[in-house]
Amino acid sequence: MAEKKIAIYRFMSAGCNGCDVQIFECLVPRYKLGDLGVEIVFTPEEANVLAVTGSINVKGAEELKMAYKKLKPPKIVVAVGNCATTKGIFSEGYPIVGPPDRIVPVNLYIPGCPPRPQAIVSAIAKALGVSLDKKEDYWGTPEGFRGKHEFDAEKCIGCGACAQVCSSDAIEIIDEDDKRLVKINYARCTFCGFCQDECPTQAIRLTKEYHLSTDNKKTAYVMNEVEMLRCRICGSYYVPSEQIRWAVERIMEKAAVYRDLRKELEDAMQICPECRRKIVNVENAKKLLTSLAIKTRVS
Amino acid sequence: MPRIVRIGPYKPQLLEPERFELLVEDNKIIDVNIELGYVHRGIEDLFTKRTYMQNLALAERICGICSGVHTLCYAQTAEGIMNVEIPDRARYLRCIYMELERLHSHYLWFGVLAHTLHEHEVFLKVMTERERIQDLLEYLTGNRINYLINTIGGVRRDITPKKAKRILEVLKDMKNLSNYLLMLLDSDEAFVEKTREVGVLPRGIALDVGAVGPTLRGSGVKSDIRRDDPYAAYEELDFEVVTEDEGDALARTRVRARETLESIRIIEQALENLPEGEISVKPREPLEKEEIGRAEAPRGELIYYIRSNGTNIPERVKVRTPSFANNFALTEMLRGDIVQNARLIIESIDPCFACTDRITIIDVNTGRKRGLELM
Ligand code: SF4
Ligand code: SF4
Repeated sequence: MAEKKIAIYRFMSAGCNGCDVQIFECLVPRYKLGDLGVEIVFTPEEANVLAVTGSINVKGAEELKMAYKKLKPPKIVVAVGNCATTKGIFSEGYPIVGPPDRIVPVNLYIPGCPPRPQAIVSAIAKALGVSLDKKEDYWGTPEGFRGKHEFDAEKCIGCGACAQVCSSDAIEIIDEDDKRLVKINYARCTFCGFCQDECPTQAIRLTKEYHLSTDNKKTAYVMNEVEMLRCRICGSYYVPSEQIRWAVERIMEKAAVYRDLRKELEDAMQICPECRRKIVNVENAKKLLTSLAIKTRVS
Repeated sequence: MPRIVRIGPYKPQLLEPERFELLVEDNKIIDVNIELGYVHRGIEDLFTKRTYMQNLALAERICGICSGVHTLCYAQTAEGIMNVEIPDRARYLRCIYMELERLHSHYLWFGVLAHTLHEHEVFLKVMTERERIQDLLEYLTGNRINYLINTIGGVRRDITPKKAKRILEVLKDMKNLSNYLLMLLDSDEAFVEKTREVGVLPRGIALDVGAVGPTLRGSGVKSDIRRDDPYAAYEELDFEVVTEDEGDALARTRVRARETLESIRIIEQALENLPEGEISVKPREPLEKEEIGRAEAPRGELIYYIRSNGTNIPERVKVRTPSFANNFALTEMLRGDIVQNARLIIESIDPCFACTDRITIIDVNTGRKRGLELM
């Protein structure tokens, strides 16, 4: 057994308690926290590491500063969980003044909502430069585990349905002229899996990857890039090309009557909404668009 | 001269931060002031800024320990707003998931108690065994806690025969664990002596201050939402509402330990009688109405209120958590007891401040100050 050199003090403000309980669970012998020379202490004065959870509210902020002040050198602060990394799901909460790194310097982030005890222990080991023997079953994850996301770049059509249903505003849709970025900030995520459920092309998958610790939280994302389409009339980029292709395919599938009109349909859809509104005089196009609108609403 | 003793918010370490100010004279607690707010997040406000579905993830994060019952109670209430009836299979599955949650919550609490009593071996044993439930929940739902298993219209994952088998295997070991805990409470000096006649809450006062859950049942009152206002499939399942009469910390402890055996029974029956069919139905458009839902969380009665204006974003969501109700009982228990017992008494109601901490209570003896302060 290594000499105890790391003494962790837990601090929580404005979290759900999930992360704090996960840290507490690290004390279960099977995680061998003790072998790493780590112990959990109950006053900040005895500690040299502060494990912060929660997004920190007005009241907690003062206490956090005080705890940090009392910490023994080298005063390492670890932000455990997504609240403590980015404020997570509580980002818009009115009493929230965090995340912790706005109040005290943070050295390491362990994303998750909450991170498993396994993720916490292995993050500590990694920070110490110790390699863990991960033979036991519990280091693996069961089928259906909801960890870090993965994009299937082939499948993603860039429609943004995932961002719409996201329970934590973790998905950004960033349009940059000829490309659209779909960016999942997994350090803001709740790992609810709504994005995976809602994606019309099954392009997002929550994987078994759960070792997500980092000292640079800006890198905590996965991203996909799709190509944008130019409007045939005004030339501006307005929709991902794949989304149009996908929509046409679906219409073909659902409404066989339009098979013959495929070409016209594709042409019509390559006009941005702005211009579409202007083409009131193009009788045929108008008719087509109206009937399509009805058709798609029905299907 | 009375003196003031402070416990918390961050020292000595309770499982969660809150500050207790005890007014003490000759070692006796004569008054209590509970100060919350360290976990306040403005959740009820956040509820009105997202859709009914997105709110599931938020409800769950009111409390990470009893997260499942928050989604259940929220979903039940939202189902009322949408006039949705869930499939039979989902009703049974909800009972299974929620009783697994009660098991891990009660065992965790026992672990914390053992920790407080410096019963290190018991602590390690309970926490080690409890990991099997956590592994199981992760296997069934995809996450150890915050499993987001309940959804509006049913549940999100099914229990296959293979999974059922695994559950039964784990339950067999949990039965042994529960029996071991009960044995400790019958005959282990350390547990019995340190908890007997500590923090007594007489039946009458328990009712007066509106205590709920194991805190109320430990004072001899047979009250349990699963029986009194049945939801999910509880009406079709046989279980005992466990009570103990003494009203002390030991009684509350015994109630929880015995309840774990009841939870195991419930899960076994639900698995055996699991109806075939779908596990969820599609949610409908919210109607313009208000709705109240209740459920028996591990710590007692949980209440959700939702007011809908017919849009897909609720207009108002109000949550009354069990720990909030029990804080008033806590004041009563502390008053009159000796200061050395304070921490134990606080823990004996299994308080969950993440749940409660959406309000600040200041409750001080008449003559000093009294108030309920919203923040
Ligand atoms: S990161 Fe998630 S699990 Fe952790 S405290 Fe915040 S809401 Fe809870
Ligand atoms: S799992 Fe997907 S939908 Fe859920 S919070 Fe994370 S990014 Fe958003």
